[in-house]
Amino acid sequence: MTDSIRSFIMGKIRRAGRGASVAQVSSELQSLGPAPTPSLISESTSESFIANVLINKGTVECVSDRSAAVKAVADYLYQRFRSHKLVAGNDSRLAAMPWREAGVLPRFGSAENGDAAGLSYARLGIAETGSIVTWTGKSCPATNNLLVEDHIVIVELADLVTTMELAWERIHQHIGKQDKPRGINFISGPSSTADIEGKLVMGAHGPRSWHVILIGEVSGSSLEKARQLAGQ
Amino acid sequence: MKLETSAFLDKAKEALMETDKVQIRDFIGLFAPLARNAALGNFDKFDQLRDHVKQVKQHTLDNLDCYLGQFEQEAIENGNRVHFARDGDAMNEIVLSICQEHRAQRVIKGKSMVTEETALNDHLIRAGLEVTETDLGEYIIQQAGETPSHIVGPALHKTMPEIRQLFLDKHDLGPRELEGAPDLVAEARTMLRDHFLNADVGIVGSNALIAENGYSMLVTNEGNGDLCANLPPVLIICTTLDRVVPRAVDATAMLRMLVPSATSQAITCYTSFYSGPRRSNDPDGPMETHIVLLDNKRSDILDSNYREMLQCIRCGACLNHCPVYIGVGGHAYGSVYPGPMGSVLTPLLTSLAESHALPNACTTCGRCAEVCPANIPLPDLLRDLRRDESLQKLSPASWRFGTKFHAWLATHPWLYRTLTGLGIPLLHRLGRKRGAFRSLPMASAWTSHRDFPTPQGRTFFQQYKTADKQLDDR
Ligand code: SF4
Repeated sequence: MTDSIRSFIMGKIRRAGRGASVAQVSSELQSLGPAPTPSLISESTSESFIANVLINKGTVECVSDRSAAVKAVADYLYQRFRSHKLVAGNDSRLAAMPWREAGVLPRFGSAENGDAAGLSYARLGIAETGSIVTWTGKSCPATNNLLVEDHIVIVELADLVTTMELAWERIHQHIGKQDKPRGINFISGPSSTADIEGKLVMGAHGPRSWHVILIGEVSGSSLEKARQLAGQ
Repeated sequence: MKLETSAFLDKAKEALMETDKVQIRDFIGLFAPLARNAALGNFDKFDQLRDHVKQVKQHTLDNLDCYLGQFEQEAIENGNRVHFARDGDAMNEIVLSICQEHRAQRVIKGKSMVTEETALNDHLIRAGLEVTETDLGEYIIQQAGETPSHIVGPALHKTMPEIRQLFLDKHDLGPRELEGAPDLVAEARTMLRDHFLNADVGIVGSNALIAENGYSMLVTNEGNGDLCANLPPVLIICTTLDRVVPRAVDATAMLRMLVPSATSQAITCYTSFYSGPRRSNDPDGPMETHIVLLDNKRSDILDSNYREMLQCIRCGACLNHCPVYIGVGGHAYGSVYPGPMGSVLTPLLTSLAESHALPNACTTCGRCAEVCPANIPLPDLLRDLRRDESLQKLSPASWRFGTKFHAWLATHPWLYRTLTGLGIPLLHRLGRKRGAFRSLPMASAWTSHRDFPTPQGRTFFQQYKTADKQLDDR
């Protein structure tokens, strides 16, 4: 029954098509070339990334190394929740961080309803859109991104790319045909809605706040410039 | 989809009398185009990107058999079960049988116009399931027992006091203030959390189906679609054949056009790509995933002169820029898809006989085509539908006679100029004193609403000839 419906629909689509060979179709697609990409908000990739995170209603902190990142997480948690509780994915990079130094004791695993803060280690950051990229799996359970009040993300300067096209290139390098992750997530801000009279409200269903910690050498003037670009 | 397009004119009249709603629509008509322009203002290559995306989309539709087959194969390899549905009823039946197979009670849904098209909720609820919309706009209209008025902002027609009253009536939470949008959003968040955590089945739509890897793209701001796609043990993606794109980069190139056109952002908060059920080491995700591909006449559209309509990416920009949509609102159209895109799509998804009022809901101003990120010539398609309407003798005989007569006259320029050359000076003489006519024979459609200004005295062509002669004489 289902098979016959499939054949019926496919048959109609085939009749409407040109009957081109796979090789022909793929060479035609190639000939269309790449999509034009927008110019970045600044010539510097990191400045553009930071500015766009801010435009996306995120907050940003730049730190020089992993120890400083741990301290930044601790300060953020204390300031927001007066606590050092945190849920983090089973990511080897997160596990290797010196949490004790800052008195943070992350619970490694999946966030439950009621958990205040979740931490993800991004695979990539995209300057064009101010997005971070994660994928599902032990290292980044979906609930850590979605169910918590505050989503904290660590991203390394070396993992910033300029455009979404370059992000796909990197994603394809990481994932093989055999172990495609279940979900690939481009996250670009806290959860928001404008469904009530067009008024923007944060924390629709997911995180109310989104905090990005960028590890790498970013100068103070770059940070200042990014803030200006974001109109802050 | 319950279709009420024949009542378009009556509903439009009613809509124009609702002053509070008129205000909201005027605000959308003013604000949305400004916000869109601001969002695209920094984007110097809009036209090039639009051309590129259009070419890719046309190429995909020209070779849909190839790409759809590729997507299906990849999706199956990723662990999905792929279903084909010929029409809305078939899709509803497939979804219901999956739910029943799992003895599901509670279903949560992300925003999906396709399931609005098939009236899936009614079908599942009739079968005894509890269905909860989780997109805030959809949740509001579900609580109110209404249908979406806009394809992107389904509850934009509702005022804040209306939503407040609705929540006070529907949520049994005792006396409370509930002032302002943040309070309302927070209350909906609390109410919906339980649904997310306890649902048996999640249903979402798809913004693009990627042929090269079998992933499905989901674009939201609230994150509700992702919660639906990640928490329940069963996920069903309800979508249509025309969502297929060849590559992941094509999906994100399209995203660059979609989001600024829809919500004036550069990108939405959550853009996710889902491949299938949870992997062996995954801590979460659905155990079983289904993709239901709806045809519902799209294969007919593919084989017609209206193929370009399948390029639509459902951004809603044409609605926000349409003077008719802004004037009368989405509900007047009586169909799931309103505005210019709906006026083309609805007759194609149903029949022209049922919905021929809609292609006439157009002033031919052309703003929709100017802003459409998919570069669809909407006014041309609307005109073609009106031509079909006339050929199928669906429009009143007097209209058809009138247009035929006008067409004949326009192809006889000498006669045209002679008749207008007599008529215009005559009207000028008759109306010179008042400057306008209160009524005119055969023009009551105009004069019943406003005066008809008296012509200036001579036709354009007469004036042109005189000016030309004066130039020659010099
Ligand atoms: S027709 Fe064009 S403008 Fe209208 S919703 Fe579709 S893509 Fe957007």
